[in-house]
Amino acid sequence: MICGFCGKEIPDEIGPGEENNTCGSCRGGCRKIHCSHCGYANPAPGKLLRKFLHKPAAKD
Amino acid sequence: MASVQDAPPKVVLAGNPNVGKSVLFNALTGAYTTVSNYPGTSVEVSRGFSTISGTRYEILDTPGMYSIMPISEEERVARQILLDETPHAVLHVIDARNIERMLPMTLQLIEAGLPVILVVNILDEAKRLGMHLDLELLQQNLGVPVIGAVMKRKQGLPELQQAIENYASVPHKTFTYGRDLERDIEKVVTEIHGEYRLSKRATSLLLMQKDSDIEELVKASENPESLSGLNAVVKYIAFERRADLLLQISLERRKICKQVLEGVITQVDKVTEAFSEKLSRWTMNPISGLPILLLVVYFGLYQFVGGFGAGTLVDFLEGYLFEGYINPVVVGFVEEYVKIEWLFELIAGEYGLWTLGIRYSVALVLPIVGTFFLVFSLLEDTGYFPRLAMLVDRVFKQIGLSGRAVIPMVLGFGCDTMATMVTRTLETTRERIISTLLLALAIPCSAQLGVILGLLSPVPGALTIWLVFMLLVFMLVGFLAAKIMPGDPPVFYMELPPMRLPQMRNVLVKTLSRMQSYFMEILPLFLLAAFILWGLKMLGALEKVVGLLSPVVSAIGLPVEATSAFVFGFFRRDFGAAGLYDLQTGGLLTAAQLTVAAVTLTLFVPCVAQFLMMKKERGFQVSFAIFVFVSVFAFACGWVLNKFLLTTGLLS
Repeated sequence: MICGFCGKEIPDEIGPGEENNTCGSCRGGCRKIHCSHCGYANPAPGKLLRKFLHKPAAKD
Repeated sequence: MASVQDAPPKVVLAGNPNVGKSVLFNALTGAYTTVSNYPGTSVEVSRGFSTISGTRYEILDTPGMYSIMPISEEERVARQILLDETPHAVLHVIDARNIERMLPMTLQLIEAGLPVILVVNILDEAKRLGMHLDLELLQQNLGVPVIGAVMKRKQGLPELQQAIENYASVPHKTFTYGRDLERDIEKVVTEIHGEYRLSKRATSLLLMQKDSDIEELVKASENPESLSGLNAVVKYIAFERRADLLLQISLERRKICKQVLEGVITQVDKVTEAFSEKLSRWTMNPISGLPILLLVVYFGLYQFVGGFGAGTLVDFLEGYLFEGYINPVVVGFVEEYVKIEWLFELIAGEYGLWTLGIRYSVALVLPIVGTFFLVFSLLEDTGYFPRLAMLVDRVFKQIGLSGRAVIPMVLGFGCDTMATMVTRTLETTRERIISTLLLALAIPCSAQLGVILGLLSPVPGALTIWLVFMLLVFMLVGFLAAKIMPGDPPVFYMELPPMRLPQMRNVLVKTLSRMQSYFMEILPLFLLAAFILWGLKMLGALEKVVGLLSPVVSAIGLPVEATSAFVFGFFRRDFGAAGLYDLQTGGLLTAAQLTVAAVTLTLFVPCVAQFLMMKKERGFQVSFAIFVFVSVFAFACGWVLNKFLLTTGLLS
């Protein structure tokens, strides 16, 4: 994932579903990914949206 | 127990800030690192491990450094690592676009006798600028392995791993300076007898430049006789060359770099500046950047969020759908089936879960934040925000902040609670406190902003007064806070991502993600706030709270009914803004009152969630002090503005 602010790559290990790397501030699961370079809070798609987004990616 | 012999060989990453060291560290170790909170400001050293062809290496990421002659504490730490860790390889990471500027440090590392591998990163951007680099020739000229890379895409990683694996220490090339300088270096070198990790040549140069750490090192390593001879020679040279030594060394290194780079860089074609680059420049130049910012605010916030979101969409959802169809059905249903008065009140009464919880969040707040997030995501995807950071950097310095504080400030327009958490990424405690205060005071969240834009837009002049007043408060309070909490002006630099056309898919995904996240966050809080308000009403306590606040509200020229909006605002800022919307649509406020209410409510106390986040981030004392200051200041501003409007007759 590319940070929306600084444009740098955020390691794949951070983000929804990766419980060890969440900051724990979102109730009901991780919904924001804080860039490890600049701290910017990038929105993380919810489960439903992730499922929807996953489909076209699977065709590649 | 592991012995020193068992310790894996070490690979140290070194280089300027913002060249992709952390990305390379992650690529090598496969681990998430918290080394730098911000590009170029790694304050801690990260260690990780990487296995290459069966051999385990320890990887160390150093803070950014510009030279092995340290100036800052970070550079001192970075050099210490190079000296103390006895690395198997030192990966000097440089930005291909700025190779001429960064190569002098490569020379220093080679000169120091360190096992250097040069990683020329960000080759894709250099190529885009029409630069072609002959890395083989560069390797030949430098005498150390040179690897081209685009680390964010892991290009060049296998070659680099191979270079680490095959690294064989060979005598380094000596780059010769001017004759007189060489003569002086030689004089010092012959006086050095101790054993050092740095080469004698590098040690001599650092001694001549009066590097205090090296002076201490030499003092500890040389015997007294040789030390006095060495000191005398160094003292003599330093005195003789007191006017120009540093400059001469720097110029000589540049000259060598020029020779090394001869034939290495070819400008493939004359690159005409692309429109995106021109636009990027315009957005950061104060003369053109400010009008662009005003255009963004006017069309993005005023017209789209205020006009379309808070006007058209809310009218449709609230006025047409909810008032016309949904509310009558829901209220009718509850009236028919719920005969217990308190339960009816809880569900569909004045402060009921439906009335305040569902209606406010779905019909009032969601369309506003939805349109706001759409504009926000669109701007974000173009790469405008880092340029905004550059634009406001000079202004922010006056209030003790740097352009970096744009991140929490911009996020604050989405949600101040989340933005308060992000203030932790700022470098100094001073910056964190000032930005927390300004977020609590003068940055309205998206819903609040949208409602206020929607309410004030139809009243000529009201929006201008609100905007000017908020800007004045922001600057004045920031300026005073910076004076009260003195400190060094923060430094801000960042590598700008390219400016680009927004991708619709990205924008929509981000908007929907933000809307979902926001809705999930506010709905339970709105319901809880409605429940508490209902409870207070049933117990008769709400009247008392309103009674306590109403003299203050009356003092700023507002009707007593406006008190409820402030009580709501304490639960959530957006909840209070929605309360203000109800008052306005009920025809209870004049233009002047509306403006005073909007200003006071925007400045009014941070909501419960923001206060709790403030407490978590800044501690109770600071948070409580901010809370008290903001509460008093908001009403004081309301009072001043009311008097001003009454005296001048503006908006009447």
